[in-house]
Amino acid sequence: MGTPKAALEWHGSTLLGRTAGIVARAASGPVVVVRASGQDLPELPEGTLIAEDPREGRGPMQGIAAGLAALTGRADVAFVSSTDMPFLHPAFIRRVLRVLQDNEEVDVALPVARGYKQPLAAAYRVSLAAPAERLVKEDRLRPAFLFDECRVETLDDAVLKQDQLLATLDPDLDSVLNINTPADYAAARARPAPEVTVQLFGTLAKGDSAPGPHVVRAATVGGAADALAVVFDRHVTAALNGDQITRDKATPLAAGDSVFFLSADAGG
Amino acid sequence: MPAGGYFGRALVADVTSGTSQDLPLPDGVLRGYIGGSGLGTWLLYRLGTPGADPLGPQAPLAFVFSPLVGTSLTTSAKFAVVAKSPLTGMLTDALASSQFAIAGKLTGHDAIVIGGRAPELSVLLVDGDETRLIGAAHLAGMTAAEADRQLRGELGRGWRVAAIGPAGEHGVRYATISHDGRHAGRGGLGAVMGAKNLKAVAVRAAAKVAPADPAAVLAAARDLRERSFGPATAKYRELGTLANLLVFNAISALPTRNFQAATFEGATELADQTSGNGPEDVPGDVQGMRRVARSSCASCTIGCEHIYRSRGGKKARVEYENVFALGPMCGVGDPDAVLAASARCDELGIDTISAGGTIAWAMECAERGLIDAPWLRFGDSAALLRVLDEIGGRGTPLGSLLAEGSRRASRTVGAGSGSFASHVKGLEMPGYEPRTMHSMALGLAVNARGADHNRSGAYEADLSGGLDRLDGGDAHVAAAVETEDRAAVMDSLILCKFLRGVFTDPFTEWAGLLSGVTGWEVSGQELRETARRIVMAKRVYNIREGWQPADDWLPDRLLDEPLTLPSGRVATLTAGRLRAMIDSYYKLRGLDPEGRPGQVIADDLGLA
Repeated sequence: MGTPKAALEWHGSTLLGRTAGIVARAASGPVVVVRASGQDLPELPEGTLIAEDPREGRGPMQGIAAGLAALTGRADVAFVSSTDMPFLHPAFIRRVLRVLQDNEEVDVALPVARGYKQPLAAAYRVSLAAPAERLVKEDRLRPAFLFDECRVETLDDAVLKQDQLLATLDPDLDSVLNINTPADYAAARARPAPEVTVQLFGTLAKGDSAPGPHVVRAATVGGAADALAVVFDRHVTAALNGDQITRDKATPLAAGDSVFFLSADAGG
Repeated sequence: MPAGGYFGRALVADVTSGTSQDLPLPDGVLRGYIGGSGLGTWLLYRLGTPGADPLGPQAPLAFVFSPLVGTSLTTSAKFAVVAKSPLTGMLTDALASSQFAIAGKLTGHDAIVIGGRAPELSVLLVDGDETRLIGAAHLAGMTAAEADRQLRGELGRGWRVAAIGPAGEHGVRYATISHDGRHAGRGGLGAVMGAKNLKAVAVRAAAKVAPADPAAVLAAARDLRERSFGPATAKYRELGTLANLLVFNAISALPTRNFQAATFEGATELADQTSGNGPEDVPGDVQGMRRVARSSCASCTIGCEHIYRSRGGKKARVEYENVFALGPMCGVGDPDAVLAASARCDELGIDTISAGGTIAWAMECAERGLIDAPWLRFGDSAALLRVLDEIGGRGTPLGSLLAEGSRRASRTVGAGSGSFASHVKGLEMPGYEPRTMHSMALGLAVNARGADHNRSGAYEADLSGGLDRLDGGDAHVAAAVETEDRAAVMDSLILCKFLRGVFTDPFTEWAGLLSGVTGWEVSGQELRETARRIVMAKRVYNIREGWQPADDWLPDRLLDEPLTLPSGRVATLTAGRLRAMIDSYYKLRGLDPEGRPGQVIADDLGLA
């Protein structure tokens, strides 16, 4: 690429910022970013934990080992993602995580999507931190070595798309598309922002602004606000899909999201 | 010479004997508890007989003013009514706004405390230092508004009246006290007044009081008035709190059918925001209802009152809480019916939240076959109106049962019905779903008044975007403590909480206001300590009256039955999570593991 992927611009944010934000939305626990020692990182969502990768150039196994180690005691399962998957959808993450949540006999939920195994879009038990670290020390750096030592359930396209929500929101499983060349990046960046639904509540729905729902294209909450000329200041918050409430303009959006803009003084 | 804004004394009236006396209020007490809710707590602790029946003659009923009343500060014409609640057996303090606050204070007293029981239905007149009882047989059965009009006609100019409706006379445990169409609503204060054989209290100004620094107060008042026109109060000014209904429905926080769901299919019909969006002076349709007026409390520049008229011609003030309680909570989606039920509650003089919560519990009991009222079904508008009348007059066995509130009624009915009685400490839940608002869950559980959204504004944290409202932890506890402290000060100064968003450094700004009025040099830090003192004093009062650690808890349903959000996320509030938050709250408050204060805290309260 010639430039760090993490810092590549993505609709006003960065690839890493978006990935961390999407994972944070889909997972109920902390988000850990593994970086090389001294590596500069772009701005990350509040609360993101940083883990140092003690040895550079050891490939994905080292990153997996460091990330799982950082989560030991904080979570039981983890979704592991590379930094360069701009179309990663929360529904994909939830689908993959559900395998480990539903079946204690499985250690790794490994998508085999779009014809390839996706170890960097997979779910792992945090207890795999120790064997992963041992494999790194043994210089056995391919994830396949780890899979040989644990119970893996694979999820092909058909299995993944049995999840109706995922099939609807990410029918081509673009979640696993990554960016390896400037051309990949240019093509991805040329795609329109995801289509989302926006509703306005309270005083925001007065005057010229109808309450909606409005269908707009926006990659972030700030983008959705801009699309409807909502001034996203301290008097306004946004609820994503009726769930998480945020004041962070950089909160990433994915296809099919609904955004409710509310008065910050909702209540009493 | 008392500090500015104060008279330095309370009037203590005994309506059994018809006598009264002054109780001096030293500067230390006033500075330590300010007024309103805080001073009321101190007075109740001092003047109440420990363990007394809330509906007995020994239980005092206090109308408490504050140093800011009568100044030009917006929203300051408020007073607190404080008593031992007949619903909870603990402290209740309801705030209300009207000219009664100003006239009551200008009788020359910082509080009017009433004890005893009049020999017959009476009106207590407070005319400056003079008090007397007059017969009120001719007012019996009247609504509070009718009694108010009648009395003011009889007494002449200058009198202001706080009265009870039929429900207060009949001892409905969630009866209200009303004045100028406003209500001291929660906790059954109307029943306390009715038990004293008082239909009304009438007051007339006879004194003056000035702030210590009139110029500073005037400047602050101008500044505050300007800020009150800004975006922080826009929701209240332009839409009223009814705007919450669609928001809460959208985020699965709208208690529905006795907390069996958190969204209501009829929400849009009850609070349609596609209409009524014209200029403020143009009425808008809300389905069957028409907004016909907007008004303000005395001395208020916000103007949050939105009056609607139904197709049937009835008018009622529409707020989120009454629409929630008589609408979604009871499964009723007909706006006309909800408006009519709200108006009926006002006429009877009963708290809409407790009425709705108790009726919703009864509807579920009826559907489960636990009470013999097959006509009482969720969503049945006619049943809602019928049962309200039965409650208000205690005219039937069912009405008498429900007039006791959901906790007592569930003890009578038994059969596990207590597990879905939606109350804390006996006070019915307001319209905030604890499973999807974990800060608020804690606030509701530990609050001295019971399930209350005014003494704990912890929902602010849940809605702030600063924390995950479905994953309660230490941050939620800290937020609950902070909002409880803020409420303690605002309720004692007293300022309306709808003004809270205009303050950027609240404790410091409030300290400035209090300093200008009183002449004391009050700091923000001092007010933070005052807040903690007031919160602790309420807890100490409750402990004296029999509070037990198990009282700081939530109904079983909220801990045992998860909710699934439209996002697919499951909202659970387990007993373990609630226990952890309560333990953390106790620690942060400096309480022991059972929630009791130690000697250091007790020494600071000045109650002994």
